[in-house]
Amino acid sequence: MALIELYNIHKTYNTTKIPVHAVKGVDLKIGKGEFTAIVGPSGSGKTTLLNMIGGLDQPTEGKIVVDGTDISTYKPDDLINFRLHHIGFVFQAYNLIPVLTAKENVEFIMLLQNIPKEEREKRASELLEAVGLGDRMKSRPSELSGGQQQRVAVARSLASHPSFVLADEPTANLDSVTAEALLDLMEDLNSKYDMTFVFSTHDSKVIKRAHRVITLEDGKIKSDETRKVLQKNES
Amino acid sequence: MLFLLAWKNVWRNKKRSLIILIAIALGLGCGLFASAVMYGMWDSTVNAAIDRDLSHIQIHTEKFRKENLIENYIPGGEEIERQIEKIDGVKAVSGRTIIDGMAASASSSTGVEIKGIIPDQEEKVTSVVSSITEGEYFEGVSRNPIVIGRELAKKLDLKLHSKIVLSFQGTDGNIIYAAFRISGIFETESSSFDKSNVFVKQSDLFNLLNSNPIIHEIAVRLTTVQVMDPAVKKLRGMYKNLSVETWQQLAPELSLTYETLTVELNIFLGIILFALLFGITNTMLMSVMERIRELGVLMAVGMKRTRVFILIIIETVFLSITGGIIGMLLGASSIWITAQKGINLSLFSQGLSSYGISSHLFPGLPGELYPILFVMIIITALISAVYPAFKAIRLNPASAIRTY
Repeated sequence: MALIELYNIHKTYNTTKIPVHAVKGVDLKIGKGEFTAIVGPSGSGKTTLLNMIGGLDQPTEGKIVVDGTDISTYKPDDLINFRLHHIGFVFQAYNLIPVLTAKENVEFIMLLQNIPKEEREKRASELLEAVGLGDRMKSRPSELSGGQQQRVAVARSLASHPSFVLADEPTANLDSVTAEALLDLMEDLNSKYDMTFVFSTHDSKVIKRAHRVITLEDGKIKSDETRKVLQKNES
Repeated sequence: MLFLLAWKNVWRNKKRSLIILIAIALGLGCGLFASAVMYGMWDSTVNAAIDRDLSHIQIHTEKFRKENLIENYIPGGEEIERQIEKIDGVKAVSGRTIIDGMAASASSSTGVEIKGIIPDQEEKVTSVVSSITEGEYFEGVSRNPIVIGRELAKKLDLKLHSKIVLSFQGTDGNIIYAAFRISGIFETESSSFDKSNVFVKQSDLFNLLNSNPIIHEIAVRLTTVQVMDPAVKKLRGMYKNLSVETWQQLAPELSLTYETLTVELNIFLGIILFALLFGITNTMLMSVMERIRELGVLMAVGMKRTRVFILIIIETVFLSITGGIIGMLLGASSIWITAQKGINLSLFSQGLSSYGISSHLFPGLPGELYPILFVMIIITALISAVYPAFKAIRLNPASAIRTY
């Protein structure tokens, strides 16, 4: 059984006079331990698809099964709860709560899960050590560089023991060196802990690193290629 | 950590938070001070009325309360005075002979209430003796001394040791004319009292009336106000055929104003808080609107809407309580400072004295007002927070995280 399963997913927005079909019949399976990038130009339905995979939006039609649970018909509060326990998020920017330290930001997810103080402090320290920020635990986001902030975001995304991590343009605001370092970290976590990463990206650096690239166009999957196929195509 | 996060969020924009804090603090501080001045004003008015004339309890015959004629005196008044002196809680008793009459000088005449007193007794019950600004309290004049008010002296164009003629009806119905000499002039907080009351020795009055001692009014001063209820109950039980009244019953308009004062002050402070409510709501709304993306991220990673709602409420309560505490400290300290020496309003003494209000005020507030105010602040905070909190939880996380 795949970790993420999408069956005939449609999403239509009726906010204007003319309905907008953002996603038109997408079938997709993402397995555990994958390092997958979803790419596509603006208007391809990439963001909409990612929102649905991440439980931030509901499909108009179709079924989404995450970790064996059909979340397509979940109510908003149930989705919030599901996201808390199953999905880790890394956003492009504004990931962190600016008034809390790095450690407190990582702890915050576990606080929402009602994990006891001692346990969450210990895990937060371990995670920050794992992302190479053991010496910056008491720093606030404003005292960290962009790359360091994203590392803290990665640590936070792992704090809740998620089934997978959804990263929406995580390298968009970073310079190339910092972006590469972040990707090194994510790949390392992927290989060491078999953590599934699903990216939404325009960044070629991310696309090059991805083990699987799913390309969307006009709300449909245009191509779905693994690393071997990609390497073959490149050569 | 939610409380820690809320407290830190209050100080995200220090300038904005300080502005609203100062607004709350100044609003409440000034409101408290103004309330303390009002309270001090009426407190001193009531105390002055009790000290000057009312005392805590007065006893009359029922007939005298309806019509203060000379024949409506208290039978066995002197004996009753002696009995009352022995009651627990009674500090002092003064029996007064009260006759309505006229006071005349060479230039003018006016109606007055003539009070025949025993000076030693009276000075233990009321404070007229300490209000003497010129002359002495029945000293310095050997025959028929009289103590009158400053306003009466002005009206009749009289000075110290001047002669004043009193005319009044005797027990036989005939008009008695008697000359008195002014031994002292008093000036109290009430110009109307000063204009309409004169004090003579009871013995001189009885000589003029050619009668046995007659007492129309027994004024009772208690050790503390706390013993008033049991004292009144006892007196009413002992003297069922007499009218025993407290100062509240003797001066109902004063009593009503005093009793409603706390309610009025709470309403006054409530109005201040109502005005501040809009400022707090605006501040919190701005705070929410500039955090749309952050709130979107929080809800995206799994923070329930209830928790977001509570977070905004706690932030608002923290902001309001901080401003409220500073305001209460400001108000309390300004009250304490001004209460040491009082506020001199002698510039307005003429107007104030016509209402019996002292021109030297000592601001003060009952202690129970502060906890009531604290609760009002929290209620204001909760009401202020509702709209911004609802705004926050109605955000769609998916669109909020992409807001720029």
